[in-house]
Amino acid sequence: MTGFYSQWGTFALLVLFGIGLYALVMLANRIFRVNLPHPEKLTTYECGVDAVGTGWTQMNIRYYVFAFLFVIFDVEAIFLFPWAQILGNLDASSPISPTFVLVEMFIFIGVLALGLIYAWRKKVLEWE
Amino acid sequence: MAIDFGAIAPELVLTATAILVLMVDLVLTDQAKQLANPLSAIGALVALGFTLPLWGDERSTFGGSFVVNDYAVVFKVVFLVSLLAILGISWRYFAESRFFQGEYYFLLLVSFLGMLIMPSARDLLLLFIALETVSLPGFVMAGLRKRDLYSSEAAIKFFLIGVLSVALMLFGISMMYGFTGTTSLSGIAQALGQWGASPPPLLLASLLLIIVGFGFKISAVPFHFWAPDTYAGSPIPVAAMLAVASKTAGFAGLIAVTFIAFEPFAGVWAPALGVLAILTMTLGNLVAMQQRDMVRLLAWSSVAQAGYMLIPFGLAVTGNAEVNEAAVQATIFYIAAYAIPNIGAFGVVVAINRRTGYRSIEDFAGLGGRHPFMAVAMTTFLLSLGGAPPTVGLWAKFAIVQAGAESGTVLAYVLLFFLIVNSVIAFYYYLKVVWVMWMREGREGMAPVTPGVNLSLVTAALVFGTVLLFVLPGLIADTTVSTDLVAGL
Repeated sequence: MTGFYSQWGTFALLVLFGIGLYALVMLANRIFRVNLPHPEKLTTYECGVDAVGTGWTQMNIRYYVFAFLFVIFDVEAIFLFPWAQILGNLDASSPISPTFVLVEMFIFIGVLALGLIYAWRKKVLEWE
Repeated sequence: MAIDFGAIAPELVLTATAILVLMVDLVLTDQAKQLANPLSAIGALVALGFTLPLWGDERSTFGGSFVVNDYAVVFKVVFLVSLLAILGISWRYFAESRFFQGEYYFLLLVSFLGMLIMPSARDLLLLFIALETVSLPGFVMAGLRKRDLYSSEAAIKFFLIGVLSVALMLFGISMMYGFTGTTSLSGIAQALGQWGASPPPLLLASLLLIIVGFGFKISAVPFHFWAPDTYAGSPIPVAAMLAVASKTAGFAGLIAVTFIAFEPFAGVWAPALGVLAILTMTLGNLVAMQQRDMVRLLAWSSVAQAGYMLIPFGLAVTGNAEVNEAAVQATIFYIAAYAIPNIGAFGVVVAINRRTGYRSIEDFAGLGGRHPFMAVAMTTFLLSLGGAPPTVGLWAKFAIVQAGAESGTVLAYVLLFFLIVNSVIAFYYYLKVVWVMWMREGREGMAPVTPGVNLSLVTAALVFGTVLLFVLPGLIADTTVSTDLVAGL
């Protein structure tokens, strides 16, 4: 039981120390900083450029579709790298034939390509 | 590591059909798009043709994570027959309204692909992937009535609660892997067996988290909140699919997880699921009594039915193969006996609702005079859901009582007591609909019922099945599908 309390006691000390440090830093900041309010300082920071519109601006839905397609092919790449690594080490003596592995991956890419064809036929790739 | 292509042939056929349907939808235009329906039906029939010869086989592939035995085959047959029936009630409904037909049939097939994998999966990861494959298309299908706020509500509720439950389940799976060092179900059973009588609480928590994930899928109280709103807002054939096929898939996974992997701890989960069973059937029935909308009535009735199906889980005992076999057998029989009339009941609702938009119980008044066939069919289905002769529902309830008597524990008799009380409550609202259909006059100037050929054929086949299984319950009951499963295969 003592082990339990000493472990959690360490954690509690860490939490207390964290809260104390935060309070100390914020307090020091408040004491030493200069206070010069200006309306410019309240605007949204957008890479140093003046912010355009409000945070509730509606985005064009096409951005969403493109983001979607990007994610799909990004994930495909994640699968391709380990596959390529394994395929390189296969030969006739391995338990699974390299041809089979190659065909398997092309079926996977083919199914993804069908998704692209679907997107193209549904005209989501056109930027009108 | 050769892959047994014969064992996964039904899944491969369904995958190919799904891709074909999506491509066909891109080529065809307007009216021709409804050809996606017969195409899907042909795919389902071919998959069924590949499934039936697997009966009696013991096959295992992908390193033992994918198993085909009688247990899996029975579920696959139930799924594929449900798919055919749902395709039958979908055709006109989707062709006449302006739905995205190609996408609907594609999503439906993909969802059923996940279901086919579910009873074969013997690995937590494969079970998880199967569950996701069932659910994800379901989220989209629930929202297919675009610009209808209720449909959007149905989709968003289903999505949020589905994602939450999957997150809980994944958390449980990760902890279970931490404790046992394996994701294979039989491996977990071995590792759990070594913990003996004093498992760490966190292990039990992870076990229950995994069960909760399935609890959402089968809409057991208190994880049922999404079900009535989602069923009521979705297109009605989709509601039928969610109420029957998706729930059956949840049970297929739950049976595999509890009776194989967590069997050593049956003393923990069996009472928990028994209490859930009591809560689920009681709350489901009491709320169903209040409903005026037919789809909501069926939704709450399906919540209550999930409670009946959970009863055998409450009977499980560690190491007692006889009781466990009887319990699994009773659940499987009940699921099959529930699927047939419930799809049928939704089919009749589609027949009444299509073109007219009727969906309240009042709209069924005088159906006996207006369309006697549909009224007879609906009466049969509701009697079967209640458990009255001459329908299969009677034997389904009987199977549960039999399993309870086999177990003979105090909890078993408490569960059976609640089963009987709830059956009486359920008859009140099932018979109320029957009474409205036959005894009440319909309103003046009600639109005629035009079910169409497909829907009538499917309904007739389901009526036939409901009565046939009453005469020959041995078609399901005499098989020994649960033996392999309880033996851990």
